[in-house]
Amino acid sequence: MGVLRPGLCPGLTEEMVQLLRSRGIKTVVDLATADLEEVAQKCGLSYKALVALRRVLLAQFSAFPFNGADLYEELKISTAILSTGIGSLDKLLDAGLYTGEVTEIVGGPGSGKTQVCLCVAAHVAHSLQQNVLYIDSNGGLTASRLLQLLQARTQDEEEQAGALQRIQVAHAFDIFRMLDELQDLRGAVAQQVTGSSGTVKVVVVDSVTAVVSPLLGGQQREALFLVLSVLLVCCSSPGLALMMQLARELKTLARDLGIAVLVTNHMTRDRDSGRLKPALGRSWSFVPSTRVLLDSPEEAGTSGRSQRMACLTKSPRQPTGLQEAVDISTWGTSEQSSVLQGEQT
Amino acid sequence: MQRDLVSFPLSPAVRVKLVSAGFQSAEELLEAKPSELSKEVGISKEEALETLQIVRRKCLTNKPRNDSTSDTSCRKCTALDLLEQEHTQGFIVTFCSALDNILGGGVPLMKTTEICGAPGVGKTQLCMQLAVDVQIPECFGGVAGEAVFIDTEGSFMVERVVDLATACIQHLQLIAGTHMDEEHEKALEDFTLENILSHIYYFRCHDYTELLAQVYLLPDLLSDHSKVRLVIVDGIAFPFRHDLDDLSLRTRLLNGLAQQMISLANHHRLAQVGNIVQITKPERMHSTVSNHTSGI
Repeated sequence: MGVLRPGLCPGLTEEMVQLLRSRGIKTVVDLATADLEEVAQKCGLSYKALVALRRVLLAQFSAFPFNGADLYEELKISTAILSTGIGSLDKLLDAGLYTGEVTEIVGGPGSGKTQVCLCVAAHVAHSLQQNVLYIDSNGGLTASRLLQLLQARTQDEEEQAGALQRIQVAHAFDIFRMLDELQDLRGAVAQQVTGSSGTVKVVVVDSVTAVVSPLLGGQQREALFLVLSVLLVCCSSPGLALMMQLARELKTLARDLGIAVLVTNHMTRDRDSGRLKPALGRSWSFVPSTRVLLDSPEEAGTSGRSQRMACLTKSPRQPTGLQEAVDISTWGTSEQSSVLQGEQT
Repeated sequence: MQRDLVSFPLSPAVRVKLVSAGFQSAEELLEAKPSELSKEVGISKEEALETLQIVRRKCLTNKPRNDSTSDTSCRKCTALDLLEQEHTQGFIVTFCSALDNILGGGVPLMKTTEICGAPGVGKTQLCMQLAVDVQIPECFGGVAGEAVFIDTEGSFMVERVVDLATACIQHLQLIAGTHMDEEHEKALEDFTLENILSHIYYFRCHDYTELLAQVYLLPDLLSDHSKVRLVIVDGIAFPFRHDLDDLSLRTRLLNGLAQQMISLANHHRLAQVGNIVQITKPERMHSTVSNHTSGI
């Protein structure tokens, strides 16, 4: 909460601020938790004025409680489910990407994470006619591939160009740029500056690990954190604080603006057991509500080259452990090809 | 603007002092003056001024947006703009048609390409060839750029580059002979051995500190030499294998290095080529670096 400044609320004068500060009361929290009788005596201010001041500040800065039924009604109206354009992935995600939530795709190098992101962007921009913000942090975005995916859906060049214009691209190779971009999005929506048509409905961040992993390491300690806002205060390393700041930005963006957020994450090797696990540690694993793992199957060969196994490892709605085979060479083409993928080599 | 102070690139000492003084969001800082701020928080006047500049710069760039909808200094572009950009940029040919076919025309600009293989398989040779090929004039299908070669293993042989350059000149002369074009003749006049060699900027780095320093100093070098279109790092993993015992530090440094290179490639329209020597256990490749590259 804020620093006490004159004019923050009616009744808070410069003189009062100075007197309070001389007693060590600098912020709204300090005033709310102080013993007002003691403060009144020491500062020479009237007790009634302080009580009134505290009441006004609390009313100004408190959060409003919601009752569950209202919340449910609001969610029913505002949540949308956006299909990813990949039938088998939609089955895992329980019909698609939910707005207001963060969905994560995890996989090793070459497993198809960027292809999923491109496919989602193309589908949302073309079939659902919504704007997409694509934040690229590792140089994997190629507009020619987007065009290929669009050309598989429609031959009309104007439609393709229209869809491409609905995809806004931002390059953010370090975490501060990424936070800037997310802030810009907030600002643009707040001022109701719209793109060519409609507002942004999907934010794709490919990948989060690229900007966060240079910050983590060293004295990072892994612990169970329950409340995200507490993390920022008690983090032991600034890298972790920045990662949780990014997490908070993404989640509040999703919730406040009704956006579906899709992020990608890499895999690292566990130091003790040698197994592969998602990167960024336990702290990040609480951030996305849904997590899909992409894996290349063991057998090599012509049929295995473009086959991937998508496995649901975390979901608020579906049982975990669901698996679907996907073929990344035919993603984003017509829905029927997902049926034919068995016959294709 | 309710933006948390953690998200600004401030120095940790300053940030800790700001937080303990009760400042949490950027909005509160915007109203303060540098002298007031330095007194309240306990930082020097220069630090206070710098902090306010950083915060104001980030916050105020959002304001002009509601005035001019056409953002000329647009940091964001649409996929359509990106597509047009990709169509106009060329590739760096490798003179091996099979390799060019796999790569889709050659080594792409604005991307990072990784070459890995066992010792002696020809990675450095390929890098040297690319350093020559990037200089091919545009009328022959090249990008007419210059090259930066960062060597960590000391395997760069100038005599071999002379051979490669001579062969390239002869090849282009043959092509020009069939075309009988004035443009081709003129371009070939500049494409001499001395010019080719003088446009390869060579740096030798002996350990990972020098390598990191060199890569982080590249932006200044690139702004001086704006025609550079290729940066080669020969042996990117080599200095990290021997000197570093702290594995987490190594991962962080490698990741930071990779991000810096990708960012350079993107901003300066370069191709970045990194070279990795495969160590004895082929299945345990450095996944950290391969996560960041989007080429072979």
